[in-house]
Amino acid sequence: MSLFVNQTKEGLESPYLPVPGVVERVTRVTEKERLFSIAPLNPSLLEYGPGQFYMVGLPGYGEAPISITSGPGETKEFELCVRAVGNVTNALHRLKRGDFVWVRGPFGTTFPVDEMKSKDIVFIAGGIGVVPMRSLIKAVLKERHDFGKLTLIYGSKSPEEMLFAEELDDWRAKGLEVLLTIDKPDPKWTGNVGVVTTLIPKVEIVEGKTVAVVIGPPVMYKFVILSLRDKLIKPEEVFVSLERRMKCGVGKCGHCQINGCYVCQDGPVFRLSDLKDLPEAL
Amino acid sequence: MNNIEFFRYLPGGGPSRTASGLTRLINTLLKEYRVYGTIKKDGFPAYAEITDAKELELFSTPTHLSAKQFLFPPKETLLRYDIRHHLHEAVIESGKQAIVGLHPCDIHAIALMDEVWAYGKPDANYLSRRENTLIVGADCMPDEYCFCQSIGTMNVTDGFDIFLHQIKKGFLVRTASKKGEEIIAWLKLREAKPAEVKELEARERLREASFKARLEADHKDLPGIYAESNDSPVWERIGSICTGCGSCNTVCPTCYCFDIKDEVEPNLSEGERVRVWDGCTLEDFAKVAGGHNFRKTRAERLRHRFNRKFRYLTDKFGMLFCVGCGRCSRACLVKINITEVTNELIRESNKRRA
Repeated sequence: MSLFVNQTKEGLESPYLPVPGVVERVTRVTEKERLFSIAPLNPSLLEYGPGQFYMVGLPGYGEAPISITSGPGETKEFELCVRAVGNVTNALHRLKRGDFVWVRGPFGTTFPVDEMKSKDIVFIAGGIGVVPMRSLIKAVLKERHDFGKLTLIYGSKSPEEMLFAEELDDWRAKGLEVLLTIDKPDPKWTGNVGVVTTLIPKVEIVEGKTVAVVIGPPVMYKFVILSLRDKLIKPEEVFVSLERRMKCGVGKCGHCQINGCYVCQDGPVFRLSDLKDLPEAL
Repeated sequence: MNNIEFFRYLPGGGPSRTASGLTRLINTLLKEYRVYGTIKKDGFPAYAEITDAKELELFSTPTHLSAKQFLFPPKETLLRYDIRHHLHEAVIESGKQAIVGLHPCDIHAIALMDEVWAYGKPDANYLSRRENTLIVGADCMPDEYCFCQSIGTMNVTDGFDIFLHQIKKGFLVRTASKKGEEIIAWLKLREAKPAEVKELEARERLREASFKARLEADHKDLPGIYAESNDSPVWERIGSICTGCGSCNTVCPTCYCFDIKDEVEPNLSEGERVRVWDGCTLEDFAKVAGGHNFRKTRAERLRHRFNRKFRYLTDKFGMLFCVGCGRCSRACLVKINITEVTNELIRESNKRRA
């Protein structure tokens, strides 16, 4: 038996070698989510675009695909907002400043920010879907003058579960209209109540000039897409980001497959029109 | 059978195996390789390590597990770490190995695996193991499940190093690589006599006539037929009897889905990240941590598996990913049969066109 470490003698690298990153800050966002600022030891990991994800791991626990929530162009750290739902994410929640994590990536497709230029954009986020959306919003707001009207529709279950609430004023100041909604009435809430689709009619949509970006739980897509169709937004102008189970990140393990496509390679960002032959997608 | 093929004669077989050419071949391999070959285990053909040529037995029907286990082991280490010492390294392990007794279907299966593991970001673990592997094929006779004839994988002209065709008094040997040729040249075999080649041709004709399982459409039409069969009642019907055991995935020579998990030593500092076989027919395969299962019914999971074999990967790589070995049908606890299922879809498709 011959054993090679990290790469074969021909120089073929193992795709499974993670890069350590140091946890620089941990912020409690809600009961279930924490925001991590992580400085990767290899700065090439910071060459990511909005919509991409890392395989984030801890020795002894394994890896999980986590969306990048910071905007592109960061030079020292990236941010991940993690909900504690599984083995890896619960272990991540126990990390403190100075601890390390293992990171592979970035993986997947990005939102086509350049293509969206000069257009109006409606960002529609449900629940934790705002996490990858934040990366795109930051990318767009950085070049605000290149875009038309910008609107964020963001729905969460309750006011307590609303993520990045303290950043919304800053986004508004930079020229993003923010429409919020919660699922059920709450004495602390004076805003809109109902699912995100209840806010879509409030957005002025110009046929051919508006693009929509939709990220949320599986159940949300169908209804939002129907309602966007009513507003005459073409499937070519709708972008979604889809969640799937992932183990490898390099198009091999099969877990993320939607019909014939691998989400880790062909997604997670998809143009809605590209999903028409993938009945398992939505 | 291709007449231009160049065959040499390897004497042997029968009770005088100790002096046979097959023994000489295996002994030659043993000098350089760890040798895996077919043996009878609990009454069934299976692969095992061969340390003595006597242990090898060639079979006309497929082994229960395919030879993928030697290139993509059921469990392998991808990463080793010792967190107390801040060490972690990716592990790529491989050794020189010869696999003896692969039938044409399995040789085709390895050619498919070579494509998928090299695609996109190449998998160093598989490729390095493959690089170190010598393949010695052997011919076969179909049983009631074999349907390679309908898939176009009945014969091989490459993808192996050495191939053995059984005749009454030994073997006719072909080579398809430099390495294979070197080994055979070293054995100094004589060229096959015309009568021996005739015997082989007769055996091949018998083989061609012996298939019981057949697909009722040209294999080139299968991706299209599967593409229009998404809503077929077949999926619900087989889904209702499927137990979701994953046997079909395990025995399939072209199923390569895997899980990655961590195993920690009792000292809680050292550990390994390992890759283990997984199966798309298992309930949790597409389930995310939040609890949503993207293929929650057995019908959806079976449809996915069948489509991977006949359509999804074919769209990507241009080749069918079923090689017609029939292993999944043989292993299925509830007798879901891949040729019968496919034939049902073919008939439904014909009806739609009628």
